[in-house]
Order: sequence, then structure tokens, then C-alpha cells
Amino acid sequence: MKIYFELNGKPQYVEVEPGESLLSLLRRLGMKSVKEGCGTGECGACTVLIEGKPVRSCITFAPKVQGKRVTTLEGLGTLDDPHPLQKAFVEAGAVQCGFCTPGMILTAYALLEQNPDPTPYEVREQLVGNLCRCTGYRKIVDAVLLAAEWKKEGKWR
Amino acid sequence: MRAGAPRSSCLTGWPRGILGKKGGTVRLRGVRRYHWARDVDEALSLLSAYQGKGALLAGGVDLARSPRTDIEGLIDINGLGLSYIRSENGGLRVGATTILAEILGHPVAFEYAGGVLGETLRQVAYPAIRNMATLGGAVVSAHPWADIPTLLVALGASVRWQGEKEKEERAELVDLYAGEFRKIFRKAVLLEVVLPPCDGAFAFEKIGRNAWDIALLNVCAGLGLREGRISWARVAVGARPARGERLLWLEEALIGERLEEALWRKVEEEVKARIEVEDDRRASGEWRRQVAGVLVRRALTRAAGKAGA
Amino acid sequence: MAVKLGQPKEVVGQNVLKLDGLPLATGQPKFTMDMDLPGALIGKLLYSPHAHAEIVSIDTSEAERVPGVVCILHHGNVPRIPYTTAGQGWPEPSPYDTVLFDKKVRYVGDRVAAVAAETEEAALEALRKIKVEYKVLPAVFTIDEALAPGAPVIHDEPDAQGIYDPQRNIAAAVDVPVGDLARGFAESEVIVETTCEVPYVQHAALEPHCVAVYFDEDGRLVIRTSTQVPFHVRRIVSRVLGIPLQRIRVVKPRIGGGFGSKQEVILEPIAAALALRTGRPVVMNLTREEVFVSTRTRHPYRVRVKLGAKKDGTLHAVEMEALASAGAYGPHSGTVLYNVGSKALPLYNKARHLRFHGKAVYTNLPVAGAYRGYGATQGFFALEVAMDELAQKLGLDPVELRLRNHIREGETSPIFEKLGEGREGRPQIVRSCKLSECLRIGAERIGWYEKRKSPRREGSWVYGVGMACAMQGSGITGIDMAAATIIMNEDGSFRLLVGATDLGTGSDTVLAQIAAEALKVPVEKITVYSSDTDFTPFDKGAYASSTTYVSGNAVLRAAEKVREQILAVAAELLEEPLEELELRGEKVVSLRTGREVPYWEIGHRALYVTNQQHIMASASFACPESPPPFAAFFCEVGVDTETGVVKVERFVAVADCGQPIHPKLAEGQLEGAVVQGIGHALYEEMLFSERGSCVNRNFFDYRVPTSLDVPEIEAILVPSEEPTGPFGAKSIAEIGINGPLPAISNAIYHAIGVRLTRAPFTPERVLAALRAKRG
Repeated sequence: MKIYFELNGKPQYVEVEPGESLLSLLRRLGMKSVKEGCGTGECGACTVLIEGKPVRSCITFAPKVQGKRVTTLEGLGTLDDPHPLQKAFVEAGAVQCGFCTPGMILTAYALLEQNPDPTPYEVREQLVGNLCRCTGYRKIVDAVLLAAEWKKEGKWR
Repeated sequence: MRAGAPRSSCLTGWPRGILGKKGGTVRLRGVRRYHWARDVDEALSLLSAYQGKGALLAGGVDLARSPRTDIEGLIDINGLGLSYIRSENGGLRVGATTILAEILGHPVAFEYAGGVLGETLRQVAYPAIRNMATLGGAVVSAHPWADIPTLLVALGASVRWQGEKEKEERAELVDLYAGEFRKIFRKAVLLEVVLPPCDGAFAFEKIGRNAWDIALLNVCAGLGLREGRISWARVAVGARPARGERLLWLEEALIGERLEEALWRKVEEEVKARIEVEDDRRASGEWRRQVAGVLVRRALTRAAGKAGA
Repeated sequence: MAVKLGQPKEVVGQNVLKLDGLPLATGQPKFTMDMDLPGALIGKLLYSPHAHAEIVSIDTSEAERVPGVVCILHHGNVPRIPYTTAGQGWPEPSPYDTVLFDKKVRYVGDRVAAVAAETEEAALEALRKIKVEYKVLPAVFTIDEALAPGAPVIHDEPDAQGIYDPQRNIAAAVDVPVGDLARGFAESEVIVETTCEVPYVQHAALEPHCVAVYFDEDGRLVIRTSTQVPFHVRRIVSRVLGIPLQRIRVVKPRIGGGFGSKQEVILEPIAAALALRTGRPVVMNLTREEVFVSTRTRHPYRVRVKLGAKKDGTLHAVEMEALASAGAYGPHSGTVLYNVGSKALPLYNKARHLRFHGKAVYTNLPVAGAYRGYGATQGFFALEVAMDELAQKLGLDPVELRLRNHIREGETSPIFEKLGEGREGRPQIVRSCKLSECLRIGAERIGWYEKRKSPRREGSWVYGVGMACAMQGSGITGIDMAAATIIMNEDGSFRLLVGATDLGTGSDTVLAQIAAEALKVPVEKITVYSSDTDFTPFDKGAYASSTTYVSGNAVLRAAEKVREQILAVAAELLEEPLEELELRGEKVVSLRTGREVPYWEIGHRALYVTNQQHIMASASFACPESPPPFAAFFCEVGVDTETGVVKVERFVAVADCGQPIHPKLAEGQLEGAVVQGIGHALYEEMLFSERGSCVNRNFFDYRVPTSLDVPEIEAILVPSEEPTGPFGAKSIAEIGINGPLPAISNAIYHAIGVRLTRAPFTPERVLAALRAKRG
């Protein structure tokens, strides 16, 4: 079946299997930042934004995004033009193996859009469903708080 | 060395479902068509046409993790206008496809019944799942370890659904759960959850294995006060591992009692003595017994505090 | 080794931006499964439902008829070459007790067959249609069951090699005495004994094991895989499939964590076999459930420690007995066993009389392998709990007890010589050790002395503090080797080629920093290419905390050689004697005349202008000793005495890793390892049914620490100058995970007076212990 949706600002008109996961569709479309860590929605590596809200793409049926706005990490910034949040992650040392990073950054992005001045606890509470095995979360929280600082200073987009 | 004592029940049920899924990305194998239902009647007639091989899709969280391999049709019901939160006469009406995040973000979450909706939903799953899972989905899948059934049963929720064309039905959730609700919802669309007005306050307690885990035991308790004495009480304990049920004997015993420390200690002991719990692979009945007493005491104490004691 | 100590450092010790940080943060497709392979077949595995069984027959006829199925492999149609999946240097000190597919299955999750098909659906359908007839055998699930007389023999195949005692299911054993233990205990004035247990736990790296195999234009086999050991993969695949090593290329792209689970050669031989049989590319990507059960785990251990000491706390006799379940096969079983003792016991070198003994026993359960800490974690759990008991018995402060006993700079321990990697070791002197300072700083940061006086109470919660120490190693003495090549470009920049394997740890960055410091350039001038067996020189791989120390020293040596070549060309250009020239800020400067020549001019001249040569050099470093990092751990925990819930309130980890090359990366290693350790201590345990099937093979039921489980972690680095390390560096990767188990157990004891020795310390165990104590 064919569905229509917007991916990172660009319209997509694609063929999907009715039972296919959004994760599978997005990776097929070249969005390799969307990762499969567990396949059951537990680890958060597959997190993408639908209408700006984080969801688990591995347990979302692809046709569900019909008519909706989907954002993956590729839509936030690029290597040549990274988003300040992405730069904050690098600067704070929050990227080790990088597998949880796309999910983390998108979740953090949604958090900062909704709550531009979170406390460390609030950051941790929003990230609770994104597992990281490498960093112990400390520097990830630092990165989000750093990005919040930058946002307050107007260095955002 | 065997790691962990063998857990008795539940070994052949739940895990096999996940084991059956050897695929990479989660797909329901064999799904052939995806429908967007425009109204309840269409949803019902599609469901009927699939003769048991169709599934209603709201949030899809449970469905996507389902071990079922016989589902051929998915019927998306998010377009039925069932996403809403309405205050009515001090109570609430919440549409079945309202996502948990929406409820959590609504002012009523921290106002109604002492803010128990907010208190509970904050601890259910995590943000990304709450952006997908619906209240109706939680009511219908009614996992025994889930928090929402315990919450709604304690609050005295009732639900409205439509099974056959033109015929809406309504029942108290506690009665549905005591009967064959799964059979009903295989052929029905849940429409709405109705929460009655509350002149007291509720509190929710749970313990998981780590932060924001499913409950190893959960409690939702509330009470109302008149002239310093308890005028009504509701106590539901879930994940025992059985699903949340009210402790009617306790609710009755509390009526007319004064609020004092000794009362709560007595409640704790009585619950420990009388609660029905079992072992499963996640926790032992013995531990659940101890914790049930403690959590009921804590929930009632906090509810009393919120009710204006 | 001409290590420059004490000179001001411009790149080393700086928090430069991680080389792959921005690419990863912008989602560049750098992982194994991110490369699309047109025409690739999907490979899937069929697993055993039985814990112990003989395969009577396999009928693949119906499965082969499934449209899209191209090839099915099983014991009947593959060569039988015993090997070990352990990614270790040759000769691998692990039993050769595995074959591609065997006629016998030894645990629930053991592999039975492999299918390659055009689509995932076809492969899965084929798996369902393969008919296997099993003759179920009795199975054993505990160490005691496996050792009991008359127990079923798990490895009865005649062609297995290197098993210590297959008839008794003993994969490996050790018994190393020093002095006279009986006399030692007799002479001791106080004795304590404790036994600690660590169950089956998972690495839970976010990226599941995966591999993509294809043929290049010359028909050579290219294996692109998520591995910690690319060179061992190449060697082992070559041997197992009988292909010349020259025809194999192994590439490690970015990988999503390993922690030891990928120090194995699990999928690669199978994927390669499918590719060779079909002539097509093959992709295999395990599901999380498969990773849980059919890859590797930590070795569950029961470690008994008996300490004999003088009244002043000085240790006099130490006995450590370690018993492990190796699982159904034995990769790393002997080496982890030796490491339990070889890493833990040297920490307290005052005892004259020692005995380290133990066994790793086969059981019909998932296969244990390498996991961060590698035996040290299990050893320190028992040792540090025993030390806490000793302190308590003597009325001594636990920190004081450590200060009276720990090894110092210039000292040695007989254990270094007696226990090596699965065999004898080599004598070693500790040349850098700041443990005393780590202890002092950690105690201060957590408010140790104040909080030790009496546990704080708040409602039903009681708060206690506990501590532990640990050491590890930096590489494996006499076994590890790494090499590096540095090539100068004509614009004055350099290429650094290293076999060293970056798991996300940042080793590419750290090695670039070492090269940049030695060559006096900013780190941006170094382009790193790593872990490609065709283009990068040998490296044993990322394990044993070796990369900074061993690979780093190789990089330093190569840089030295390049430095000589640069100076020679500069001397000719400037017509000045060599001794007067030095490297400074991307230039060669004459100390005598002040004249300068920039690198780009040197590189350009050497390539094109006169006396042409390409300025480049390779160097190797074999590990003559393994300087240990040291760490002190302090934590504050709260215990809810009504429910048994334990919460870690604060955790301070203070480590001496020599000179931190990249402080933030080093902290990151420490923080991450501590959180993994907290998971071991409080939540993580694989559970099995009576039939030996893992019942919590997913993150729903196997709880990995989340961001809310770990409030305040402070990682503090106390630099020391390790004379044998590159710019004074040692290592940091593993040591952090050794602290939480004993520190948390000791803190719980301080809070509520019960000693928990069986991990994880679940609410249930804690409450049961509390109630038992109350009687």
C-alpha cells in the first residue's frame, strides 16, 4: 500500500507493507540513524519524532504516519551544519559508541522544545526510556543542560 | 550455578510470545491490509468481516509486541474522534484513543482526585511509550502487572463501548474485569472511560525492579473524610501478580474510623495477613505480602493528607 | 622506551573533540548494518530447544523448498574443525571445544543450523520447517550438579582439545600456592571468611551482534563485522573454513558497544560459510533475544575468600577459591579464572602465604565469555567484602585497613609471577600507584568519616556508606602486541593507521592525540584509519584494557621514527646539524639560528623535489609488563527497611590511570563502568527455567540501569606518571566495574547491618535478610 508523509521536511510517497514497522521503513528510505537495539520498544535506540513527539519506531506500524510529520536525526542537522544540540553532545563528551545517540538527541530535543529550562532531574526523567550502556548517563545529562544554556542565550534553531 | 530460583508460573505464557518473534524489526507477519476506520460502525463491520483475524489499532504498543501470527487486517481507530478529555459534573470522560501523554499533560491530571492520574501516569512506562499508548488500549489489554487497571478499578471507573451496530453498552470496569471482558473486546470498540466525581483524594504507590519499571506490586487507594472520620475508602492492589482488585473487606472496615497512626499500622498488618498474592518469576508471594501492607499504608496515609486531614 | 615525562603537553591531557563525535551525533551511517548490500542474502540461525541432546537427524528437505531459500547449513554439510570462539591471540588459551555445527546441542540456544534466503520471511519460514529429531540427554545447571559423580559429560567429543578434565566437566582449573597457607592462618591473629556470588549477567551493548559478508572485485572475502578483534576474526575464519588468510579481509566499522561480548568470533564463520556456499553476499543481524541467549555472558562465579591478619590489620595469609559456571562451551574460561586471582590478589601484597585455586565448570547453560573486568570483578567483590568484614572485626576504619595493606610504587607481589593469562605470569614491579591519594580524595568527597559515625535515618530509609578498592592491568604481559603506521602527507598532515579497535571508547581519538603530541601538531592534522586487516597493521584487539597502553606505545614508537625522518630532511634543507633541530608547532626549528621550515615544505620536498622518499614509519610494541591502574570507590546508599529497595544516592570513583590522555573520555569510561557495576549490584540477573531456558531474554525483564537509577556519579582522575606508558598513560577501560558490587554491599552493611553476598541485591533479598536479622 502507498502512504504519504513528511520526512524531515520533505514529502514522501512510498510503498509500505501494512504490517511493516516505521523503523524498517525509515531505514529503507536511507535514514540509517534510526537504530534497532531490541525490536520491542524497550531500549529507545529507534526513537524518532512524530509531530515533534518522541515515539518508538520499532513498534509503530508504518501506515500510522500517514499525513504526519516525521523527524529523524538527519533532519535535525548535518555534518556540515550540525544543530547546537548535536554540538553540545559532542562537546560534553556524551557520545561514546553513538548507538543510543540518535534516540537520545531526539528525545532531548523534544524535551527542550517543551521545557526550555529543565532541572537535572527533569532531564533524567525524560531520558529514562533511552538506555545507554556506555556513558552512565552523566555526560548525556550534562550535554542537555549545556544545550539548554545555549538555547537561553539564543544560540538555537 | 543456576542463576535465580526457578519461578513457577507464567513460564510458558508470556515469554514464548516474545520468543516467537525471531524477526529483526517488529512486524506482524501475515498482515495484509491496513484500514483507517471513519466511524465506529465501519470499524465494527471490518472487525466482523475479518472473523477474528482483524485487530483494532489505537496506540499499537501491545499489538506490535503481540505474539499473534494470525492477524490479517489492522483497523486504525484513531480517526473516530475518541481522543478527548472532558470534565463533567466533577467527574471525567476520557476518550478511548486518548494517549497517556495527553492525559498527563492536562491540568485535570493533577487536580482530579488528589492528582492521582498524574501521579500514576508519570510512572507508567516512559515518555515515548506514553506518546503512543492509549488509555483504552491499557483498559483492554489489562496486563496483570499494569498500573492503569489498578488505578481505574480503585477510582470506580466505568467504560462505554459499542459491540453491535447502534447498541452502546456501559459497565463498571470492576465488573467487566470479573467477567469475560477479553471476549467482549474482541468484537467491540471501546469508546470512553468515565471517572466518577470524587470528594476525597487518591494516591498511587508502586515498586518496580528499577526506575520506571512495571510494578512488582502496585496500590491505588483513596478516601473521603467527613468531620475527621473516613466516610468512604477504596483500596485496589495489583500486580500480585494478579490484576488490580479492590480489597472490599478493608474498604468496609475503614468507614467511620478516625485518622491516626495506630489505624494505619493496623491496616498494614491486616493487609499482610489477608492479601492474596503469589509467586511469579519476577517476585515471590512472600515479598509481595510484606510490601502490599506497606504500600497500602503509605497510599492511604498520603490520600488522607491530600483529602485535607 | 623513550617516554617524555614531565614536559609540557599540548594535545595529550586535553579534551579534544572526539574524532567520530560529530559524525555519530549527526547520524552518519557508520555501523555494520548501515551499509546497503544489494543482492545480499539474509542469514538466520536455528537454535536448540533442549539443554542437552544429541541430534539424531536433520531433515531440511521441506525447508529447502521454501521459495527464496538458497542454502541451509548444519553438521552434515560443513567441515568439522574444533576451535574456540574466544578472540584471543594464537595459541588461544581456551579449549577448542566448538565446531561450526555439531551433532550435539549443549544448551537451550545452541546453534543447530543456518539458513540463507532472499528475504527474512523466507528464512524464518525455512527455520520453522527444518525437522530436527533430538535424543534428549540429562542436563546439569549448577556447578555442583556438573561436578557430581555420574554427571552427564557435556564435552565427550573425541576431537576437543585443551579441556582440563572433560570427563568431570572441568573446562579449566588452577591451583597456585605461595608460601605455606596453613602456617599462615595458624600465625594469624584474626581470621575472616566470606563467599560471594555473581550470577549470569549480560553485556547489553545497544547494538546486537551483526555481520555483513561479501566478495570484492577480486573474489576475496570481505567481512564487515561488529567485533572487538578483527585480526583474530581473520585468523579463526581462515582456519575454520579452510580458506587462505590472504583471501580474507576483515573491517570493523563503528560498533555499538562490546564490553567483551564482541571479543568473540561467533557469527563470522557462519556468515562466511553461507557466503562461500552460495557465492552471494550474506547479512546476519541478531535479535536482542538471540544476543541474550546465544552470544556470551559474564562467568557466574562463587568466590570464597579467607583472610588471616595481624591485629594491626596487616594481611598475613590469603586464600581465594573461585568456582565458575563456564556454560556449555569454554571461551575465556581459563583466562577469566586466572584473572580472578591475578588481578585481585596483588592489590594487597603484604600477605606471605597465599593460595589461589578454582575451577571453571561446564554446565548446560548459555556460554560465558569475556566481560569487562574479566574475573577481577568477581574477585574484588569477594575480596573487598572480606576486607570490610576484617575491618569490622578489628574495629578498624575500612579505609585505614586498605592504606595499611595496599601495594605501593616500587613494590611487587608474588602473584604477578605465578598467575598470568591462563598460565604462569611474569614478575613485575609497580612503577606508578596513587591509590593512597585516591582513597583520601574519595573519602573526603563522600564525607566518609562523618557519615561512618552513624547511619542517617529518614522515615523508613536508612543511609550508609561503603567503599572498595580495585586494580586491573594494562594489556597482557608477554602476549599482547600492537603496531602502528604513520604516513606523512605532502601538506604537513599525517595518516595514522592502527589495527586498534575503537568500540566507541574513543581509542581513535586517544591514539591520534598521542601521535599529535609526539609530532607536535594539533590533533586535527592526524587522520586515523583503524581496524581493517588489509590496510592497518596488526593489533590484538580491544580487550584487557590494552589500547591506550599497548597500541599507544606502538603509535609513539612509530612517531619517533617519523620524527627522525622529518628531522633528517629538515637538516638537509636547512643545512644545519641534526642535533640543533627540534619539532615545534608543525615546524622544524633550529635552536641555534632560529630558522624554521614548516612540515608541509618538508613533506612536499621529500615527495617531489629532491632525495625523494615518503616520510613514513611503522613500529610495533609487545607488552613487556602490564602496569595496573588503581581505583578507590565510595558510595552512599539508602535502604528502605520496609520494602528492601536499595537506592544509590552518590557514587565517587577515584582512579589513577597514569596520565589521562583525554580526561573526558577517561571519565566517561569510569562513569559507564560504574553504572554497569550498579546494574550488576542491584538489578541484573538472567533467570532460567528448570529446563535451562532463559526466561528474561529482553529488556522488559532484564533491567539495565536507566538515567533515573543513577543520580550522582563523580569520576575523579588522579594522574600519575607511568614511566613505561605513552606519555605516562596506563588504562581505565575496565577497572570502574570492579567497584560497585563490593562498595554497595559494604554500604548496605553499614546502613542495616546485613551483609549481602549474593548479587543482585534485589528488594526481595534485602528484605529477607533484614527480617532474618530481626528474627
